[in-house]
Amino acid sequence: MVRSPVRRSVPSMDTPDQASPNAATPAPAATAPVARPAARAVDAVKIYGRGDTSVRALDGISVEIPAGRFTAIMGPSGSGKSTLMHCLAGLDPLTSGQTWIGEVSLADLNDQQLTVLRRDRIGFVFQAFNLLPTLTARENITLPLALVGDDPDPDWFDTVVEVVGLADRLGHRPSELSGGQQQRVAVARALVSRPDVVFADEPTGNLDSRSGAEVLGFLRRAVDDFGQTVVMVTHDPIAAGYADEVLFLADGRLVDRLADPDAEKVLARWAQGEDPVGSAPGEGSTA
Amino acid sequence: MLRITLTSAWQHRRRLFGTVLAVVLGTAFLVGTLVLSDTLRGSFRSVFTDVNAGISVVIRGQGGGQVGDITAQRPLVDTAILDDLHGVDGIAAAEPEIEALAQVVGADGVSIGGQGPPTLGVNWIHDPGLAPYDLVEGRAPAAPGEVAIDTETAEAGALAVGETATVRTPAPIEVEIVGLLTPKGGASAGVTITAFTADEAQQLLLGRGDRATRILLAADGGTSDEELAVRVSELLPDGVEAVTGAVYTDEALDDLGRDFLDFFEAFLLVFAAIALLVATFSIYNTFSITVAQRLRESALLRALGASRRQVLASVLLEAVITGLVASVLGLVVGIGLASGLLGALGRFGLPVEGASLVVGVRAAAAAFAVGVGVTIVASLLPAYRASRVAPLAALRDVAVDRSDQSRIRLAIGLVLLAIGGVFVTLALVVDGGALERAAIGAVAVSVGVFLLGPVTARPMTAVVAGPVQRLRGVTGALARRNAVRNPRRTASTSSALMVGVGIVTLFTVVAGSINATIEDAVDGSFGGDLIVQSGGFSGAGLSPQIVDELRDLPEVDGVLGLGLGVGSIDGQQSVFSLVDPPALEGMLDLEVVEGSVYDLPGDGIAISQSHVEEDGLRLGDVIEIQLVDGTVLEQRVAAIFVSQAADAVGTRLVPIEAYAPHATQLGYISVMVALADGVSLEQGQTAVESVAANHGSPDVFDRGAFTERAVGDVDQLLAIVYVLLALAIVIALMGITNTLSLSVHERTREIGLLRALGQTRSQLRAMVRWESVIVALFGTATGLVLGTFLGWVFVRAIAADEGFGVFAAPVGQLALVVALGALVGVLAALRPARRAARLDVLTAIATE
Ligand SMILES: Nc1ncnc2c1ncn2[C@@H]1O[C@H](COP(=O)(O)OP(=O)(O)OP(=O)(O)O)[C@@H](O)[C@H]1O
Ligand SMILES: [Mg+2]
Repeated sequence: MVRSPVRRSVPSMDTPDQASPNAATPAPAATAPVARPAARAVDAVKIYGRGDTSVRALDGISVEIPAGRFTAIMGPSGSGKSTLMHCLAGLDPLTSGQTWIGEVSLADLNDQQLTVLRRDRIGFVFQAFNLLPTLTARENITLPLALVGDDPDPDWFDTVVEVVGLADRLGHRPSELSGGQQQRVAVARALVSRPDVVFADEPTGNLDSRSGAEVLGFLRRAVDDFGQTVVMVTHDPIAAGYADEVLFLADGRLVDRLADPDAEKVLARWAQGEDPVGSAPGEGSTA
Repeated sequence: MLRITLTSAWQHRRRLFGTVLAVVLGTAFLVGTLVLSDTLRGSFRSVFTDVNAGISVVIRGQGGGQVGDITAQRPLVDTAILDDLHGVDGIAAAEPEIEALAQVVGADGVSIGGQGPPTLGVNWIHDPGLAPYDLVEGRAPAAPGEVAIDTETAEAGALAVGETATVRTPAPIEVEIVGLLTPKGGASAGVTITAFTADEAQQLLLGRGDRATRILLAADGGTSDEELAVRVSELLPDGVEAVTGAVYTDEALDDLGRDFLDFFEAFLLVFAAIALLVATFSIYNTFSITVAQRLRESALLRALGASRRQVLASVLLEAVITGLVASVLGLVVGIGLASGLLGALGRFGLPVEGASLVVGVRAAAAAFAVGVGVTIVASLLPAYRASRVAPLAALRDVAVDRSDQSRIRLAIGLVLLAIGGVFVTLALVVDGGALERAAIGAVAVSVGVFLLGPVTARPMTAVVAGPVQRLRGVTGALARRNAVRNPRRTASTSSALMVGVGIVTLFTVVAGSINATIEDAVDGSFGGDLIVQSGGFSGAGLSPQIVDELRDLPEVDGVLGLGLGVGSIDGQQSVFSLVDPPALEGMLDLEVVEGSVYDLPGDGIAISQSHVEEDGLRLGDVIEIQLVDGTVLEQRVAAIFVSQAADAVGTRLVPIEAYAPHATQLGYISVMVALADGVSLEQGQTAVESVAANHGSPDVFDRGAFTERAVGDVDQLLAIVYVLLALAIVIALMGITNTLSLSVHERTREIGLLRALGQTRSQLRAMVRWESVIVALFGTATGLVLGTFLGWVFVRAIAADEGFGVFAAPVGQLALVVALGALVGVLAALRPARRAARLDVLTAIATE
């Protein structure tokens, strides 16, 4: 069953003037098109392996991730979605081409600088295993800040925690939280350091539709209310419906984009696209 | 299943490497010790057999021999027996052998040798078959005042044929060196030899011209040794016996074994055992982890029908394979170790040149039994536990293990601690048998502490890690959480170090206490202002002449010579102090309870209060002392004083005039000197040293130097012990490395996540390092507390039994031990931290 996106029904937060701290010019949500992209790839090629067994995971793709927007990436399994995200986030070097976070070209950075960049400017939500089992929810949320030695801004921390609805769960360890709660902790962590971009790779892949909807709602609010930039890989048309724009990938190339999507539009676009190789939408497969 | 086990063992060879290494080191130490002592035994046997090859029969006094810890001398033999032997058939040669102590003084005026191996004074034996040495330069001594000495002594003393030298017997004698000799078999083992003519040797060394230590016979071609021994026996008076050369050699070897080789072997074996114990802990830990990891990995296999039994069998099989591999390597490394050490021992004059290594069945069997045994024992519990884990638990992610806060473990641990406490209390409160009770208590407490490890791991690491966390922020916090996430693993990882550090601490504390006791006892063993002591304990002693010479010095006010007598009291070999009683006055501050010590009559004896309490002796009782020469001294108790066995005068004082006529060589062990008024210590020391120079330059100490030297001996021994314990610490270190590597492997995804979230490589390395340091400090702290406690119990128990002993924990050294523990943590983390930092972030995230 298909539900419509809930973004317009989200009650507005009482910190409307909250701006993204790092982006120089955070565009207010859902307004004019963005001047400066938060992240960008140009002619990005990523080849895994060598010789006969080599795989061209990214095949000269160029994309821009607009700041202050919620971008979804869809495509059949193996189409290079995760690879694109990893390369944009500085987790994986390109074979050729270039990627930028803001004005920083990742190709120029060494491991230490990349690490610092991830820590300071990027938030992650993975499909599973997002949290350190030894830390409480609170500690997991503040981990990126703790790694710099910073204390979280208490107001912002409270806001984020309240948004994701975890106020009474902060002392629990991941093993004491449900899958949905764990993902909400991960979202809170991705938001608490006010990164330039939050990358989420199938954040709802392991969740039931209700928990998934909650997590997606929080990502949406982060964009709407706090001007956050979010990039999300998903197989789920409903999830994609929360985004401002959907990028379609196939065989390591950008094949289509869809603005202001909802589940029906995504499904329709999907259906008319080239035969989605070996993967039905909604299938939750991960590496 | 066998194939699966073998392939899995092969695939995990990296993990098993640490295990193998721990076993290899332990077994190598063991094998090295056994091979070395077998080889030494073998080469001593061949040397002794060589030396005694020409001796068919030995005629000697009966009695003496080994009584308790003391080797008593046999009665001397009357040389008149030689005349009776003239007519006996089958004797090719017969010569008396005279053997006592005589120490050569080198050209620089300092006595040579005497630090352990005896300094022998002997008669020249003309028959080359009977003589234990060969003449290599010059000629045999033919007249009084002529000697032949061994080449090594000549070299050490810069003496040559034709030169004159001083020999102390212990009275200093001027001699001319006419010949040089070498012991048969080549190696001296540090024994020095001075050969006089037979007549002079009798006079100087035995004090009478008609006696010999023994008589040596060589049989002619037609008579067997046994036959000759029987034939000769018939002619011998009572109290004299004849034994074959073979028996004589065996006895000599037995003595050597008892005095040196057995001790040497046992001493090293103790440390091999400690190393193996530590190895057992670290292997146990490695197996626990690999088994746990394997269980999860092979969950599929089990779902396909592998039974618990098969899991158990496969783990044990892996242990056997590991143990076998390690044993073979241990054997090889051990043999290498032995051959290396053998070379080193050769430099101390042991007869090892050209000796081929003796790799006995004993050593090989020990290598395999211990190598495989230790590995199996260490893997049994993990294997059993693994086989009992529910299949579902195997599939679950046990990232944080809380399973082991077991109440049973807690209960047993606490009960053992209580039992230990009771025994220790009993040991210290109730009279007698303190050491036994304390030992039981110590074992109970140690096992209790070990069992409580997982329970104490959490709170203890919290204490240890507190500063780390404060200092290193989130890195410290993560390290701490990792250290306590699996308390059982933390506890067993650190227990290897706990054992090592515990033993180091125990030795440190005991040595510290011994030193404190010595310092404390200096009051009881140091009298006057200066003390003259002959260098070693196997030298010739100090001539009584020195006492007179010192007394003649204007700088000197009083002199007290202290000698040691040996005799049998109530059938027990006993030692007693020999003094000139009036000289005690004003020199040693003896607390006299009854009677008078200072005018002890010639037939009197002074005893300590302890003999009154334990043996029920009273003033006026007569004590019979049977001396080596058969005489029985009857001494009447004339004084009772307070003293301890450690004090200079011991617990029995006999006037030297009663003992002197029966002593073959009368010498003092130490001589105390009181300086005249107005003479400074430096002036006194110079004066006393000038006299001492004529007596082989024995050491002259003031009170401070005396204490220092006594304490220095203990410290030297402690240094050797530390070196031997280093192996155990290294094994413990490898155990921590191993566990950390396995943990890092287990946490690949977490590490990937942390790196993705922005943990830098150096932060990651620091995290692993601090975890290691926390675990190491936990082990160190536990070991330190346990070792100090056991040391305290040990010292107090001895004090309760023996009536003396002061407990002292050397704080500085113990602080060093803690630093060492932290260092172990840092070193152990090097490899795992590097490997963790090298993990590729993406693969780490992707790893399932
Ligand atoms: N580390 C790697 N080594 C070799 N090939 C890889 C590696 N990672 C990805 N690939 C290959 O690159 C291609 C793109 O993979 P990617 O994980 O980006 O796909 P995806 O779109 O995220 O798929 P899914 O929807 O299944 O997650 C695939 O063919 C994959 O097999
Ligand atoms: Mg993917």
